[in-house]
Amino acid sequence: MTSRKPIAASLAVLGYMIMIVPILFVVAAAFTSGSSLRFPPEGFSLQWFEAAAGHTPFRAALLTSLQLALLSTGLALAVGVPATLAIHRGKLPGKGFIEGLFLSPLIIPELVVGLALFQQLIVTYRIDNFPVLLLGHTALLLPYAVRVTGAALAGSDESLEEAARGLGASPMRTFFSVTLPVLRPGIFSAGLLGFITSFNNVPLSLLLQARDTRTLPISMLDYVQQSYDPMIAAVSTLILAGTVVIAIIAERTVGFTRIFGGINR
Amino acid sequence: MTTTSPAPFAAETGSPAAAEFREVTQRFGDFTAVDRMDLTIGAGQFTTLLGPSGCGKTTSLRMLAGYTRPTEGRILINGQDATTLPPEKRGLGMVFQSYALFPHMTVAENVGYGLKLRKVGRVDREAQVTEALEMVGLAHLARRKPRSLSGGQQQRVALARAIAIRPTVLLLDEPLSNLDARLRVQMRSEIRRIQSETGLSVVLVTHDQDEALEMSDDMVVMKSGQIMQQGHPADVFSAPANRFVADFLGYENFLTTSQGITLAIRPEHLQVQDTETDAVDEALNLRATVTDVAYRGVDTLLMLRARDPSGEEVDLLAETRGEDPGRYTPGDNLTASAPRHRLVQLGDD
Repeated sequence: MTSRKPIAASLAVLGYMIMIVPILFVVAAAFTSGSSLRFPPEGFSLQWFEAAAGHTPFRAALLTSLQLALLSTGLALAVGVPATLAIHRGKLPGKGFIEGLFLSPLIIPELVVGLALFQQLIVTYRIDNFPVLLLGHTALLLPYAVRVTGAALAGSDESLEEAARGLGASPMRTFFSVTLPVLRPGIFSAGLLGFITSFNNVPLSLLLQARDTRTLPISMLDYVQQSYDPMIAAVSTLILAGTVVIAIIAERTVGFTRIFGGINR
Repeated sequence: MTTTSPAPFAAETGSPAAAEFREVTQRFGDFTAVDRMDLTIGAGQFTTLLGPSGCGKTTSLRMLAGYTRPTEGRILINGQDATTLPPEKRGLGMVFQSYALFPHMTVAENVGYGLKLRKVGRVDREAQVTEALEMVGLAHLARRKPRSLSGGQQQRVALARAIAIRPTVLLLDEPLSNLDARLRVQMRSEIRRIQSETGLSVVLVTHDQDEALEMSDDMVVMKSGQIMQQGHPADVFSAPANRFVADFLGYENFLTTSQGITLAIRPEHLQVQDTETDAVDEALNLRATVTDVAYRGVDTLLMLRARDPSGEEVDLLAETRGEDPGRYTPGDNLTASAPRHRLVQLGDD
C-alpha cells in the first residue's frame, strides 16, 4: 500500500520524524548523569527522575493538574452531553446558535477568557483560584464534549430510539438503555480529549494561577525560567510515559479508530 | 376518554378493525403529507400501503406507531382512541427499514428487550425469545452481536424482536428494500408464513407493487396523501380505479374512446397481427406502426405508434411471447388488438 503512494508515504515518515525526534532528544537528556541539559547525555542515571519525583512544587502541581483535569472533564461532559442530545434530537429553536455558543471557546483567545475570569471573579469577587480555574477549563472543554459526542450521535441510527420506544421503553428508559450505551465510545473519546486538553493547558492556567494552586505545565514553565537542568526533561519524560499509558488503555478498551474516527465522521 | 365501540367492523373485509384512521391529516409546514384519510385495518389481515415516495404511506405508518402526531383527526387501535398515546403505550411492533437493532446488545437481548420491559421473568423470557428466534430460523445466533450478522439475518432479528412482544399490529416499514433481489423474494413468503402462523394483523409499507400483490390481503394504493383505491390485490389489479393506480400497477397503454372514456390495457394483453389478418371479432382493433423492438429473452417488447378511437396519436407497448425476435422491425405496419375483457375502463384520478 505504501509503495504505491511514494509521496504520501515519504510525507508521513517526515511528519513522524518532525514530531518524534525532538521528543527523543528530551527523553535521552533526562537519563543523563551530568548536570546540564544537553545532547548527547553524559552517562546514564535516574537521578533526575528521583529529583523530579521529590520536588515538592511539581508534586503539588501534578495533584492540582489531575484534580482540575478530572473535574473539568466531568463537568464538561455533564453539561455537554445533554446539550448535544438537545441540539441533535430535541426540537429546540435556534439549534445552530446554541451549538455555536458551545463551540465558541475554540475561537475566543484563551488569554482573553482568562483575563476576563481573573478580572471579574478573582479580583472583583475574590473567589478562590481553583473554582475559577475549574470554570475556565470546563468552558474550554465544552467544544470537545459537544463536538465529539455530537459526531457519535450523528453517526448513530435515530430509529434505535424509536425502536426502543415502540418496544415499550419510556423516554428515560430509552436514554439509559439505548442512547447512552450507543454513545459510550463518543463520550469516552470526548472525555479523553478533554482530559488531555485540560492537563496540557497553559494560557488559562497561567492567568488564573496562585502560589499554591498551580498546574504542572505552569510549574514547569516557572522552573525553566529559573533553572535549566535535566530535571525538566525528566518531568517531561514522565508526562510522556503517562500519556502513552493512557493511549494504551484507550486503544485496549475502545480502540483509536473508534475514538478518533468519531471526529472525522 | 373515548366512546368505546365494542365491535368495530371493517367495511371492506367484514373482520373487526385492528386500527382505524379517521379523517387524519398530517401537515409538515406547508406540505400536506396525509390529507383527511379514512382507513380501516382489518384484524388478522395483511394490509399493504402502496405508493411512490412522498405519497404519505410512511407518514401514515409513523402516525399509527405514535412517532408523529396527526395534525388533525383520530387514530384508533383496537377500538380505543390512541391519537395522543406515546409509542411505548401502543403495544405495536415495528420493523424499521434500517432494522434499528441495538448494537450493544446480543441478538437474544435485542429480542428480549420488549419482554424485559413487560417484566416477563427470566425463564419465560428466554423461552419466548427462543420461540421468536426459531420462528425466523435464527435460534443458533442468539449470542451473536448484530454487527456480525448479514443484512438478511439482521432483518429476521428485527422481525423476531417485533413479534416477541405479541403486538396488536405488526408494522413493517419497507423492510425488504435493503435486501438483494433473491433474498427479498424469499423473505416475502417467510413474512407471509409468520403472519398466518401467528394470526397477527400486519401493516406493510412498500413502493414495490409485486411485494404488495404477493403479500397482502388488503391493498391500499396511495398518492399525495390520499387513498386512491383499497381492496383485495386481485380486484385492484384487474380493475384499477383510475389512471394513477393503473399506471402504478404496470398498465402501459391508455386510450380514449370516441365517447371520451379512458381505457387501460396491460402490455401482455395487447395482441399484434400482421396487417393482412383481420381480427374483426376483437373489441379493439388499431392500425399501428412499429417504432422500436426490444428483445428480453422470455418475451419481446414492441413499441408501437397508433391513432386511438378518439383520433389522438398514442404510443403503445405490446409484450409478445413465443415470437421470433426478428419477426418485427421498426417501420412494420400491423394490427394491435385486445379482447373486450382485457379493456379496463378507468375513472377520473
